[in-house]
Amino acid sequence: MSGRRAPTILLSTEGTYPFAVGGVSAWCHVVVGGLSDYRWEVVPIHAGAVRPAYAYELPPNARLAGRIDLWSERLPRHVRTGRHRRATWPRLPAILARTLMGWRRDPIALVDALAWCRTHAEAVRPTFRSLEAWELFIVALERVVAERHPDSGPPPELDAVDAASLYQRLYWVARTAAEPTPPCDLLHVTAAGWAAIPALVHQRLYGTPMLLTEHGVYVREAYLAAARSQLGAGERFLSTRLARGLSLAAYGAADAIAPVTEANAAWEVGLGVDANKVCVIHNGIPAPLECDAPPGQALVVSVGRIDPLKDIQTMLRVAAEVCRRMPQARFEHWGPPTRGQEPYARACEQLRRQLGLGERFMFMGPTTTPDAVLRRADVVLLTSISEGMPMAILEAMAQGRAVVATGVGGVPDVLRGCGVVVPSGDVEGLATGVTTLLRDRDFAARLGRHAFDRACERYTQSLCIDRYRTLFDDLISYTPTPKLEPAAA
Amino acid sequence: MRLAVAGGGETESSAAGAVIQARLGRPPQDALEAAVVLEAWGGLPAAAALRAGPRVLSSKMLPSRPQRWRSDDQEGRRAVLAEGIGLLVAILSIAALAGPLSDELGNATFERALRVALPLTLALQWALRSRYLGRRSGIACLGGDWVAVCAIALAIAGGLVAIPGWGAVAAMLAAVWVGGTVLARRGWGLAYAGLLVLATVGMLVGLPAVETLAALTGVTLLGVVIAVRTARVTGLAMPGTVGRALAAGAIGALLGILLIGDPSLGWGIHGAFPALALVPSVVGSFWGGYHLWQFHDEVPRRMRGVELSRASATMARGPATDIVLAALARLVGITLALSLVVAFIGEWTEGTDSASLFVGFGCAALVCLFVSLLESLGCVRWAMTCAIVSVAVELVVAHVLQPPVAGAGLIAGGTVGTVLAIAPLVGLLRSPGRVLATTLWIR
Repeated sequence: MSGRRAPTILLSTEGTYPFAVGGVSAWCHVVVGGLSDYRWEVVPIHAGAVRPAYAYELPPNARLAGRIDLWSERLPRHVRTGRHRRATWPRLPAILARTLMGWRRDPIALVDALAWCRTHAEAVRPTFRSLEAWELFIVALERVVAERHPDSGPPPELDAVDAASLYQRLYWVARTAAEPTPPCDLLHVTAAGWAAIPALVHQRLYGTPMLLTEHGVYVREAYLAAARSQLGAGERFLSTRLARGLSLAAYGAADAIAPVTEANAAWEVGLGVDANKVCVIHNGIPAPLECDAPPGQALVVSVGRIDPLKDIQTMLRVAAEVCRRMPQARFEHWGPPTRGQEPYARACEQLRRQLGLGERFMFMGPTTTPDAVLRRADVVLLTSISEGMPMAILEAMAQGRAVVATGVGGVPDVLRGCGVVVPSGDVEGLATGVTTLLRDRDFAARLGRHAFDRACERYTQSLCIDRYRTLFDDLISYTPTPKLEPAAA
Repeated sequence: MRLAVAGGGETESSAAGAVIQARLGRPPQDALEAAVVLEAWGGLPAAAALRAGPRVLSSKMLPSRPQRWRSDDQEGRRAVLAEGIGLLVAILSIAALAGPLSDELGNATFERALRVALPLTLALQWALRSRYLGRRSGIACLGGDWVAVCAIALAIAGGLVAIPGWGAVAAMLAAVWVGGTVLARRGWGLAYAGLLVLATVGMLVGLPAVETLAALTGVTLLGVVIAVRTARVTGLAMPGTVGRALAAGAIGALLGILLIGDPSLGWGIHGAFPALALVPSVVGSFWGGYHLWQFHDEVPRRMRGVELSRASATMARGPATDIVLAALARLVGITLALSLVVAFIGEWTEGTDSASLFVGFGCAALVCLFVSLLESLGCVRWAMTCAIVSVAVELVVAHVLQPPVAGAGLIAGGTVGTVLAIAPLVGLLRSPGRVLATTLWIR
């Protein structure tokens, strides 16, 4: 690429890179650092109740182009605009409610409303604080609730607090849309949710092509989180409908979608995405060098955040069952609680004590050397109820370790022929898989060897980076027409 | 339970419905939720799950059964409590220290020091509360910005100490009072009060007043450093915005100027009396303000279950109005009762000042309450306007009209500021749904 200006890519993230550790952040760091002939402008969207701290140092070809602190007290940026730019638009919250929360979509009205927020950033707060906007919003929300569609099911009864809660979320949607984005040649969105909002507006205003990478299917994870929560029907309705609205808007606007696994692609196509714009690009790990035989210590290792999506409580029950069958078995879980999931972590610790696991199951905390941790394992275990393409499994394969995992997301594809895949939540099945591999060390070693070969062949970082480079160049050289006809706001 | 790939038959639908019922314990909200459950726990591939989803939908409307509203900000309430204790102790310390310091420094010098220290203290307290102390892990949050905070503190102290005569005393008084707020927020209010009592006793038994004040300042600041360094972090809370903190500081300073702007009050000249006269209104204001803290908690709690169609309705006696009226009643009631007690004690101890001071400080407490409410609702400009107008009216009345009644300027300023602050609140509070959505949750 020498001799030409390095193309600029705007990478928008949500709760991940560069402020949090995890699979998505690790992937971002690999892609940003690996594609050093591109300039990266990173726009993280962050829950502003806590002060962010860098978990990753940005490489020299990347810089933070701003930070969006949701739910914070920061006021909208001050811009010198004419009087008409500060004029409020009381219909804005109502339009956002209709276009994001309604079952039937209206992408043109949605993106136009979001673009208005960018060009009238100072008017967003006064708009949402006005009585007229609130009254119009209530009327619009009543219409959304009254909407009938064969797939939408009966709506719940919402109350005034639900309405105010949604109003606040829509305010932050508008504030996110209002944040400026730097000039760029390509928009790369890392989740089909809040991270898509700045890109939707930028694309609407400048016609820049947009690429969406989904690690987990955003809307699916939102529904799973709501299903597992103790929220009332109204709150569940609001959170899932908003996730659906944002996801469908991102799917509709993206010029290409690069899920990390075929399983995600199936969801995306099932949700109405044109299959022609879906291009699966697997995650990658550094090319493995060698694999040695498992140490034979009956040690089962898992690596991942302590989070309901990882179903650590099932893991504990599996450990209890395995230890009942093989008292010498030991389990180690490496990884911190997800921020905000500390109560879940405490519940897991309580369950560990209730099950009498003692030192046979240890929460080891975060690790900076997952390879070394995984090398100590005889079997690697994953009990998630939702995954994209888990790095923990790829790293285990690179160390030549046999994996027992739940068949969610891209896991069955990755482990085809080289691991044990069991339905999620199946304690008996998972325990049997682990016990079998601990008892039959030759079989475990063979599976590990197959896993190592498969990782070398299909899941290396260089393969991943090359595929992204090709896709980026295709998208940047392609000049799309603006997605939507301009509409007078 | 694993399902066969759905072919569309009734058996598959009922099996799918059973999986969903088992997992959710209720019918699915929509086809997408059904599909997600069938894929995650029913073993169906995504495409099949998405096809099966619509077939298991119920046609019955789901009752919302919203959770009871639960506040997650007990720390903020403690912050208000701490600030109230800090302020009260500071006021009592003015009363206690006024005599010895006046004797040693001279009335004029001490009065000047007091007239600068009081508004400065209120400005710093308001700013610190806005940016740090009113938040979860507020003290740890303050520790996160220690370089900037120390630089600002040193700049202010340096500027004051450079003023000969009263500058250093003003700096020490402000440091002791602001430090006391931090200590009270840390839960060390009793230790701080003990420190003040010790210093007062020391002065009364003949220790040199200024040196004792300097020692008190040193120990208080050392306590602040220890309090910040040893604060327990329960999550790295985000501090408030600098702009909002500056605005809060300016409002605090204006309210401080309101307290000392009327020369008829005689701070420093009449010994402990003005400080003692301030106690009833401070206690009343504190109790009223403490009740008002429920505003952020009580409005959503009482709006739970109010149907959507009434979310923007106006109510003559809604939850927001009720809380403000109750706070007002507490303020007025306590101020009145304690004023009578202090006046009685003043007579008994041959107090020398006019009872109109109590009315003046009561009016100041009212304007503080309403301005504070406006500021917390995000109506910062209006709060600032009320404070400015209060001070302007007070200065005009006290210095231009010069009425014979002691504290007349403060009474006039406080009354005008209160009326001005109430005007926007009346319209706002009548619609609690609107208050919740457009002001409490969009700040």
